Amino acid sequence: MSNKTREPMKPLDAEEFRKQRRLMVTWGVTLLVLFPLLIGLGLFMRLNQGELVHLQPNTFYAIMTLHGLGMAGLLFSFALGGLHFLVGTRFARTSVKVGYFVFIGVVVGVIGLVVATLIGGFAAGWYLLYPLPFKGTSWPEWSSGLTFISLLILGVVWLVGCVHIVRALSLEYGGFFQLMGWRYLGNKEPEEELPPIALISVVSLVPGILAFLAGAVFLIMFLFQLFEPSLEFNPLMMKNILFFFGHTLVNITIYCAVGWVYTLFPEFTGRAWKLTKVTVIAWNATFLFILFAYFHHLYMDFAQPISIQYAGQLASYMSAVPATAVTIFGVIAQLYHSKIKWGVIPLSFFLGAVGWAIGGIAAVVDSTIAVNKVLHNTLWVPAHFHTYMLMGVVLFILGFLYYLTAPQSGKEGGPKAGWAFWTFVTGSYGFLLMFYLGGMNSIPRRFAEYSTMGISSSHEIGALLARLAVFFVVLVLLGIITMGISIFIRLMRWVVTDATSTESSA
Amino acid sequence: MVVLGGDFQMPFYSRSRWGSLVLLGGFCLLFYLVSFTANAWFSLTMPRHQTLQLPIMFALGVGLAFGFSRATIKSAEWKIATLIFVMGTLIFWMLPRSVDWAAFDADFNRIMHVTMVVSGFLCVTALRGASVELRMAFLGMVAAMLLAVGFTLRTFDILLCSAFTISQQQETGLALLLIGGALLVAIVGVFIRSLGIHQANDGL
Repeated sequence: MSNKTREPMKPLDAEEFRKQRRLMVTWGVTLLVLFPLLIGLGLFMRLNQGELVHLQPNTFYAIMTLHGLGMAGLLFSFALGGLHFLVGTRFARTSVKVGYFVFIGVVVGVIGLVVATLIGGFAAGWYLLYPLPFKGTSWPEWSSGLTFISLLILGVVWLVGCVHIVRALSLEYGGFFQLMGWRYLGNKEPEEELPPIALISVVSLVPGILAFLAGAVFLIMFLFQLFEPSLEFNPLMMKNILFFFGHTLVNITIYCAVGWVYTLFPEFTGRAWKLTKVTVIAWNATFLFILFAYFHHLYMDFAQPISIQYAGQLASYMSAVPATAVTIFGVIAQLYHSKIKWGVIPLSFFLGAVGWAIGGIAAVVDSTIAVNKVLHNTLWVPAHFHTYMLMGVVLFILGFLYYLTAPQSGKEGGPKAGWAFWTFVTGSYGFLLMFYLGGMNSIPRRFAEYSTMGISSSHEIGALLARLAVFFVVLVLLGIITMGISIFIRLMRWVVTDATSTESSA
Repeated sequence: MVVLGGDFQMPFYSRSRWGSLVLLGGFCLLFYLVSFTANAWFSLTMPRHQTLQLPIMFALGVGLAFGFSRATIKSAEWKIATLIFVMGTLIFWMLPRSVDWAAFDADFNRIMHVTMVVSGFLCVTALRGASVELRMAFLGMVAAMLLAVGFTLRTFDILLCSAFTISQQQETGLALLLIGGALLVAIVGVFIRSLGIHQANDGL
């Protein structure tokens, strides 16, 4: 039986498309402003670790907190916004109003976090590891409260955004079980095709919904303790809830962005990227195991039952390996003899997939119990998550933003990747290499000053690598700011053209 | 039809006059029984107070709203504001100090009863016709709050409300954990089931 393509959703009228795009441009501009600032915070951290500047420890940790929370939040918010746009303009009807509701909620949450960390000095790290926000703090209570409330606001609007996209897709494609692609698992080919982005959205966003609800539980408990300081919770339980929230958030950020790649990359290779039985099985495995993969964050917690530790290792492998493998294989199949023109858009998507794979492998290595005994809480950890975020998600985002500014380019691949792009990529890998080398040399993470370790060799190596990293971070900033300005000008050009055409049509 | 404010429409005469009277009479009787006649019994232990009397009052408000089948808050802004108010009310009546006062002082307890009835009523009128997104966000946050309170009461071994005992406090915690967990499972299940049901999807 031959596949028949489902009747596509009714095309958006020009006005509706314009509204969706304007919302996406708003997200784009926000990202272009905030992202370099957050990199700047990271630069300060490496400058301090390299002993090139001296920050008070409290300031360092407040910066580290904002850098972590800001990056995780910003990248997920943008990934969700991108999914909202792509789904809404091609596959199912999404509401611009809901999109702005999410955007405004995110802005309010981010402002709260900025005030809490930079003014209030909240410095418990992005994951607020219990009982850190309450014991021996150097910051006022209000900044803790503001952080918890800001995160709650972010959680609520992300929840709304996730539910909205899943709901929109389900209305178009016939419910949850259809969206999971189970009809591909039989021997017959399915009568109606499901776009990969629909499957990946559900695989990402439904666990996300559960994670945000879990996040709300621990944040409300934090608020209780803030109001009633004599309260005390089980730290192991809190850590489990917290990492279920945090780990899932970071994971689904990548998957949302991968969903874009499945949709947009084929436009440059000229080949359809369809779901197959293997792809569906792989992503369904991710759906199931992503919920338990966070156990690998608790390997050092001796009170956690050993069976759960083993389950954590298996879940980590099962959630990451199948989806990454089928995607990388898919990218290779897309490229093979495709005569693609390597503009900045397909290049960003391709290198993003490469970065995701490299960072993913480094993460899976670290999720192996025998290896984690050595690498736990060394710089290997920031190495791998910076790899798949910076050289994975951020490259996907850059490709997406360039695509947004040049939608007609199609197979042309958008503008050529100039020196700014390569400066960014080179700087990023150099910066990441310093983290990996640090991890291999057992340099601990989250140390404001390596001199306080009391081990002179580690101190020297750590500080040297940090100094070298500074150079590469400057390259990253140079590249991203230059590209950011170029994208910003293109976006503004579109806004002006859009406004003119709206006026003339009126 | 009586219109309260620009967005709140409440038909008092959605059924026969007798039907309405029976509904209101039944409501008043139940309210009287729970709030006056049996108040001492409900205030005797924490599980009775927090997991029976409080939800009964909320349920009375919900039932009342179902009686007024067309009472609806229409605009999304007012729906959100109302749900935030309801959430705030629920939080307030879970604070140890509020619970203590309510257990010691019958009049203060009655304020709780009234606000819970109002909250239950407003909750239904705000959620009526609301989008799946809003329902999920609100009910999800309520479930999260119940779980958080449940964990707190269950694990904390210092008496929070001097009107009750630690074992009662922990029993209440367990009950809230079960209620919150059940609500969480229910809303996720209903959400997944609702994905197959076609409905307009045009905002909050």
